[in-house]
Amino acid sequence: MDFAFAKEHEMIRNSVREFFSKSCPVDLVRELKDDDKGYDPRMWKKMVQLGYQGLVIPEEYGGLEGDFLELMIFMEEAGKKIVPSPFFSTVVQCGLPLLDFGSKSQKEAFLPGIAEKGDIWSLAHTEATNSEMVAGIKLVAKEEGADYILNGTKLFVSYANSARYFLVSALTRPETGTEDIITLFVVDANSDGVTMAQMPTTAHDKRFEVTFTDVRVPAERILGGLSKGWTVLQKTMQSAAVLKAAEMSGGAAAALQLTVNYTKERKQFDKPIGSFQAIQHRLADLLTQTEALKYLVYKAAWMISEGSPSDFYISAAKAKANTVYHNVCHQGIVMHGAIGWTEEMDIGLYHIRTRAHTFDGGSLKQHRQKIVTVLQNHRPDFMTLYDS
Amino acid sequence: MEFRFTKKEEQFRQQIREFVKENIPQGFIGHRFWDEQHPPSWDFGMAIAKKLAENNWLTINWPKEFGGMGASNWEKAIMTEEVGYWGIPGTSMGISGTRWVGPSLMAYGTEEQKKKYVPLIAAADPDGVWCTGYSEPDSGTDLASLQTFAEQVGDEYIINGQKVWTSCAHYARWLWMICRTERDVAKKHQGLSLFIVDMKSEGLKVSPLKNIVGGHVFNELFFNDVKVPAKNLVGIKNKGWSHLMQSLSYERSGAVGIVGTLQRVFDELVQYTMESGQIEQSDIQQQLADLAIDIESARVLGYQAVWKMDRGEKLTYEPSRDKAFTDVLHEKLSRLGMDIIGAYSQIDVMDKDSRWTQLGGAIEHMYYTSMGIALAAGTTDTQRNLVGQFGLGLPRSY
Repeated sequence: MDFAFAKEHEMIRNSVREFFSKSCPVDLVRELKDDDKGYDPRMWKKMVQLGYQGLVIPEEYGGLEGDFLELMIFMEEAGKKIVPSPFFSTVVQCGLPLLDFGSKSQKEAFLPGIAEKGDIWSLAHTEATNSEMVAGIKLVAKEEGADYILNGTKLFVSYANSARYFLVSALTRPETGTEDIITLFVVDANSDGVTMAQMPTTAHDKRFEVTFTDVRVPAERILGGLSKGWTVLQKTMQSAAVLKAAEMSGGAAAALQLTVNYTKERKQFDKPIGSFQAIQHRLADLLTQTEALKYLVYKAAWMISEGSPSDFYISAAKAKANTVYHNVCHQGIVMHGAIGWTEEMDIGLYHIRTRAHTFDGGSLKQHRQKIVTVLQNHRPDFMTLYDS
Repeated sequence: MEFRFTKKEEQFRQQIREFVKENIPQGFIGHRFWDEQHPPSWDFGMAIAKKLAENNWLTINWPKEFGGMGASNWEKAIMTEEVGYWGIPGTSMGISGTRWVGPSLMAYGTEEQKKKYVPLIAAADPDGVWCTGYSEPDSGTDLASLQTFAEQVGDEYIINGQKVWTSCAHYARWLWMICRTERDVAKKHQGLSLFIVDMKSEGLKVSPLKNIVGGHVFNELFFNDVKVPAKNLVGIKNKGWSHLMQSLSYERSGAVGIVGTLQRVFDELVQYTMESGQIEQSDIQQQLADLAIDIESARVLGYQAVWKMDRGEKLTYEPSRDKAFTDVLHEKLSRLGMDIIGAYSQIDVMDKDSRWTQLGGAIEHMYYTSMGIALAAGTTDTQRNLVGQFGLGLPRSY
């Protein structure tokens, strides 16, 4: 057993860390809140030059052909600096399913655009039903000749105003009630019939309501096969959960460090407040939780990287992330005192992202349920040992 | 990065399980601090310890010359985890000997002390059973303020004072204790020394202290002119505190064993809820999942500490981190368990054979020992102080 990263992974981490510490100072994070695009196109372009969007894309499609751990490390470092960018929606939520389920011609058509040109993609999935289940999808795709006609509305679509493509989940066989009723479509963002309205989010993280009115999409834009959309989404969800958890793990570690630093400097009753046990015990527990999250994420990511993803570890990592990220931010602000509740301090920038982070990659409740399913299907050692 | 055990390590785990299958009856669930309050369990534990000793497994990571097999840190961790899961009794022969007395003697005992005492422990001999005298009535968390005094007279020390919370003193052959040997010191941590004391000494009185459910784990020890040969002083006179810190680090490590225990009780509880149908209730589902995540968290943290140690790095705050975390988990798991077994949670925890007892009393036992666990080897809050100080670099808070 070895908790240390390989040298090449440490190199990636160092270069990503160095890049973000130069190109994404916290002042930029503040500015981008009020920016229409919500990300820095110059930074995005530099990321393309460094190959970050193509980290796990094969060389034949213009990528670096790295492994899943590299992507995990990238997300962890981005999380530390709360980098506002369409990376998660583009690379994780759309790039990975293209990579895993795209036909050869789809990969040729789309992957180089992501890796070499910095095309922005966005997953259009959540709807007004506010449900993570199959039944939550109401947008309909109706077959018409060689095309499908999409009608419906998606919510919380990231960076839709900058996106070149949407990956849209749609009902293709509404008459049957099983999981095989969803299909994923690659839709040009500038198609006729696509309209959008920005949703006001606390994080100002550029989320949109995107409405599809008689949008025509050719059948070759189906990703992963007709009515196989749910399978694709579930598989994508595994990677997305771990990578979002990695981002949150980095963020939680950074928010904890901000708090620790502050409690060492801030004096009351002539002493640093960090010398009081009321503060120290809370910080100690948060450190433990933050480290637990980090290693759960590493293990879940390592298992994916080894080709044997574990439902249990994936869900444990994301569920833990959802709990720990909130706790560190909330308690961190309280330990800062009143100033922590102002825009002046950085920790609030972490906390306003809690809710988006919590739902991207799966909610606490959803992942806990998945864990129970694993438990129900598992015969523990004490029952099997005496079997033979 | 590698999160798998090696083939050899996995094979070793299987060997331990074969031992369990042969020697531990199916359905047996071990309980912490139970053997010393239940004579038949004590005898069973000592018999198992003997069998483990025959495999050189009782003190597996000790050098061969002292009855171990020079096992790696990982093999030791696997053994500890399996001991926890299967509840293999007897492995610490009460509490002290295999865990910190032996390693401490090997680290800073005299040759004579090593030869006389260490092999008895490794062989699971009744004369290898130890107890430990640290706390005193007025010196708990602030241990260095202790007052029990050992006065040197010729080639003897004469001990007067009192020790308390002494687990297993009613079975122990020897006492591992710390005394003040110098009163006139600048700092209270100075002037302390470690001793080996014969429990059969004249003037040493052992008096039982029952816990809240009537169990006899603790004792009080009264020292009235107890004579100890000078050669029984361990390490350097008046430098006992630094030796003690080393011994305490042995005591606080081993979180993976606790993970094993938590995992076993959790596994039993999940099966129980499946049989009773409670697993269909969404609040039970959410709480079970949360515990599964926490137990796994404790496991990865425990492994991380083993890994760090195995790399030859000194552990600083990690054992405290893991102890504080698992302290809380005992309470959390057993409390949910008590709610799940419902009305039966009222059955006397001391009567594990009653026909109303659920899951062999494992849940109730953990519920009523969780506070004892939170106090042993430094309270949960003391561990948090150490994590703050050594893990986060915050100013000393006490």
